Amino acid sequence: MSELERPMRIAIAEDSAVVRAGLVEILADRGHEVVAAVGNGEDLRAAVDEHQPDVIVVDVRMPPGYTDEGLRAAIAIRRDHPTTGVLVFSQYIETRYAADLLGAASGAGAAGVGYLLKDRVADVGEFVEALSRVAGGGTALDPEVVTQLLGASRRTDGLGALTARERAVLGLIAEGRSNGAIAGILVVSERSVEKHVSNIFTKLGLAPSDADHRRVLAVLRYLAP
Amino acid sequence: MRFLVRSWEYRRPRLWVGVRVACGIFNVALGVLLLASVRWLGPLTWLAALPLAGAALIFWTVYRLQQDSVQRVRELEQSRAGLVEDSTVRLRRIERDLHDGAQAQMVAVAMKLGLAREKLGGMINGTMPPDLRRVLELVDAAHRGAKEAIAELRDLARGIHPAVLDHGLGIAVTTLAARSDVPVELLVDLPERPAAAIETIAYFCAAELLSNVAKHSRARHASLAVVGVAGVLQVRVSDDGSGGARLEAGGGLAGLADRVGTVDGRLQVSSPSGGPTVVIVELPCRA
Repeated sequence: MSELERPMRIAIAEDSAVVRAGLVEILADRGHEVVAAVGNGEDLRAAVDEHQPDVIVVDVRMPPGYTDEGLRAAIAIRRDHPTTGVLVFSQYIETRYAADLLGAASGAGAAGVGYLLKDRVADVGEFVEALSRVAGGGTALDPEVVTQLLGASRRTDGLGALTARERAVLGLIAEGRSNGAIAGILVVSERSVEKHVSNIFTKLGLAPSDADHRRVLAVLRYLAP
Repeated sequence: MRFLVRSWEYRRPRLWVGVRVACGIFNVALGVLLLASVRWLGPLTWLAALPLAGAALIFWTVYRLQQDSVQRVRELEQSRAGLVEDSTVRLRRIERDLHDGAQAQMVAVAMKLGLAREKLGGMINGTMPPDLRRVLELVDAAHRGAKEAIAELRDLARGIHPAVLDHGLGIAVTTLAARSDVPVELLVDLPERPAAAIETIAYFCAAELLSNVAKHSRARHASLAVVGVAGVLQVRVSDDGSGGARLEAGGGLAGLADRVGTVDGRLQVSSPSGGPTVVIVELPCRA
């Protein structure tokens, strides 16, 4: 475990026993505490009520109906426990699920939210990093989520004012990248990224109260339906 | 009614209905002519009843033909709906099997390898204490998982299209019989090779029926006969088990019967309580 990672208290809901065991293994290996590992949404809600974890990891498709049980549990938990971070992960990215999740997130306010493809779990370091970002109130949206939501978005208010470069920066913020990382990806200086970011905040009408929090709000305002 | 209709009539139904109607009208005309000739025929006028009765019979067959084709259209509609439903259900099952099986297995494998890679990296950089035993454990578990995923994919692929069918139904059912948990006595007699679609349906019937024998019948012996005679392919599975198999809506046998029905085949079950069970599937050799 790296020095930067604080130990988290985590609840997991995933119906596949092999994947669940794998998750518990990699998280425990890095010194995090998995307070509950369950196989359906109902059990997850009960576990969150009982253990009050920092963050939950939820598979979208779970018993009994194998449609979006996990997502609905995540949205309910979002409502009942606004300070618990929610990381949803699934085999496929569904635009509507992402929109529902972000809609619920922007309604409830602060705590972190993430939506990742299940494949990302394979890069253990990045996955755990994304999880701790969500636990800390940040975002971790799969690049595919960002692309799909932007494709589906028909909104023009505020967003229309953003330049192409600013949209790119906001997309990377949505994935949860820091200014330094964004500068590296776009091959520009960190100073100019900071400038883009402050322009985005101004154009989206976000007051300079809390820099980190504003990043999340900008993403939610940008992507949520 | 089918006995009154020759199979070649289905190819030109209008023509043959036309011929029947023309014959009927001719008979009616003849009957009327005979009736009108009462003055000359005298007591022999009763002969007029013959063409009129003939006409009645002909028109009756035309009417029944019509009914028959309405019935046939209804059957085809039902079997087509069944086929569409069946393929949707099958696709959904394949997707679920993939999602729960090989896909989940590979995610777990990738997680284990990811963790092993990090540990090895950390050990080489000196940021982690050397613990090769733990890395070996992880690689070992990943290796096991990958092999399980391969086995699952192989089973799934076989369920979609059994590659063994490429060499003919005979070899395919021989493999099937050899793989059965209950000993199977096998008889194969296929003078000519049935159409590919028919072979596939016959194969899945044999596979499902044999797996039913192993799962439900508590039989000690089973027999499988696959015989082609006069354009009909018969698959017959019997066992000396406890019987009680039913063709119930939504059951496995009903699913098979639907599938068999899509090519105008038939499935019959005889399974008195206490056994023995005999299931006979008849399929046309050409779809």
